Amino acid sequence: MASMLAQHGVKRARQSPEALKAQKDKETAKLQEYLVLTDDIFTKKKSSDWSRPAFDLTTRLLNMNAELYTVWNYRRNILTNGIFPASTPEEINGMLSEDLDMTMVFLRKRPKVYWIWNHRRWCLEHVPDGPVDDTNGWRQAYWLKELSVIGKMLDADSRNFLAWDYRRYVLASMPNPPPEANELAYTTQKIESNFSNFSAWHQRSKIYTRLWADQLDHQTTKDEEFELVKQAMYVDPNDQSAWIYHRWLIGPGDEKVVLDREISVIQELLTVEPDSKWCLESLVHYKLLLVNKHGEKLTSDRQQLLDDCRRMLRKLKGIDPQRARRYDELESKCTASS
Amino acid sequence: MSNVLLTDLHVSYIQSLDNHQDDLAYHLTSHLRLNGVYWGLTALCVMNRQDALPRDDMIEFVMSCWDHEAGGFGAHPEHDAHILPTLSAIQILAIQNALDRLDVERVTKYILSLQNPSGSFSGDFFGETDTRFTYCAVSALSLIGKLGLLDVEKTVAHIRKCRNFDGGFGSSPGAESHAGQVFVCCAALAIMDRLDEVNYDMLAWWLAERQLPNGGLNGRPEKLEDVCYSFWVLSALSILNKLPWIDSDMLISFILSAQDPEGGGIADRPGDMVDVFHTVFGVAGLSLLGYPQLRDLDPVYCMPADVIERLGLRKGWKALDRKTK
Repeated sequence: MASMLAQHGVKRARQSPEALKAQKDKETAKLQEYLVLTDDIFTKKKSSDWSRPAFDLTTRLLNMNAELYTVWNYRRNILTNGIFPASTPEEINGMLSEDLDMTMVFLRKRPKVYWIWNHRRWCLEHVPDGPVDDTNGWRQAYWLKELSVIGKMLDADSRNFLAWDYRRYVLASMPNPPPEANELAYTTQKIESNFSNFSAWHQRSKIYTRLWADQLDHQTTKDEEFELVKQAMYVDPNDQSAWIYHRWLIGPGDEKVVLDREISVIQELLTVEPDSKWCLESLVHYKLLLVNKHGEKLTSDRQQLLDDCRRMLRKLKGIDPQRARRYDELESKCTASS
Repeated sequence: MSNVLLTDLHVSYIQSLDNHQDDLAYHLTSHLRLNGVYWGLTALCVMNRQDALPRDDMIEFVMSCWDHEAGGFGAHPEHDAHILPTLSAIQILAIQNALDRLDVERVTKYILSLQNPSGSFSGDFFGETDTRFTYCAVSALSLIGKLGLLDVEKTVAHIRKCRNFDGGFGSSPGAESHAGQVFVCCAALAIMDRLDEVNYDMLAWWLAERQLPNGGLNGRPEKLEDVCYSFWVLSALSILNKLPWIDSDMLISFILSAQDPEGGGIADRPGDMVDVFHTVFGVAGLSLLGYPQLRDLDPVYCMPADVIERLGLRKGWKALDRKTK
């Protein structure tokens, strides 16, 4: 398939001329069907045909190619201009439900196609008011179902960023969203099953940013976070996810006592893993924070901290030569600030 | 596996892309056709073989994708206008020095109509938003000399909301940093002269850590390498003037190892099927890394640097010096 425009992870295989011909013969009928169908649909679209038969044709074509954004657009226009105005709320609800099922089938095969995710959002945003006594009822039911659907997508690929984006969108759209603590528990579960899931750490940083902004005293939960991330650092000191998250927890390093404590935690890990790049790199960063942020509270050991940093940076150049130039630049900064 | 750039093979690979009209796969990608033309043309430009695809036919094809009703370009004749192919169309016309074919007033109106009150941009009238579309709008408007009509403050405010603690940017507020989104946000900020919004130290650190032991770059922590990040990560590093923070020789070897030494083209990883998307981002990366005999690429616009200079749009990025051999 030399004419594909963009693809990922498909192994290159040389086909014999015979195999190529056989494949082509098999494809010919399908290609004909595809071209006729496409032609038919674009003609109908041009004449603003908002009928049910036209709608059914878009179903057939999207089944062959779910990336045809123009056909998704046409399908939505048929619904809003032709079909919905002549339907009861129950009927509209039923059709949207069918479209949601269809996109789910597509997403199982193509979990990274933006257009499919978009159509799903559009469907959810067009759910009509439910019966009089419970106008939000249908919507709330859909959103709850979405949360479990998206959970399954993330079970299949826990780093799918489209699925994570969609999860945040669902949570933000629900008429009655679950408490933040639920989402926190979800990320805990994701992280504990795989410490290297940075998407879950990232999600956690967003939740805590909101929670901590509303809470005056969050020292306890923050200390628990430091404990969790310490576990991750010990399980695999080469995994960058935990180290990046740790840097977020430290932030600008305003609290000297936290900085001191975390420096000794990492120092301890370094004695077990003397060549750990991430231990060394983080120690340099945190010790420089100490010098730059709390310089006035340091007395005699300021020079020693800078010497330490320089020594570690020289070691880093040997361990991690790909980024040697960065370590050089940092080393020159150590001299400048001393 | 080859350790030199197989220019002739890549040129004939790109030329052959349009000869597959009896393949189903060719037709299944019509929604990316105009983007594909831009990728092919840019790859050829970088390899100094711009004339390998006929200019006039290309311009006519671009114009045939104009969606008269919307005032933008679709990815293929009769497809609906969308901001992604609209940028591709403008990029192609700019490279071919044919911007005079454009209805500048209408396309400007179309692009500006896609901005939302929050400052974000939608891809089309159906409203999906993404920082990719912000970049498309900012890049396209600047290429046609209409950036002055954009509400820069509002646009920057939205990008700021997509910035994360690691210095990177996501597709929307709250989204995880991703090298592709880092490129679009940094480049958009560069075009608007608002790089003061970037946390240089954090971001350059995060970008440098995208390089894996095999030399390739990934797009997020603890993910696999992929040739397309060679452009996105490198572009952002050039904009921050920190390209030396990764090992360029190792990355050059990685990109070259992903070439198809028989049929031409570059794949996402060694041994995989090639495509024009990875081919352009592979050679674009090589150009920024100073690979010999390539034409300079502007990392902000992902177009030939001389084209951007001709339009007076050059920003303060820095690529590696061109090697002589």
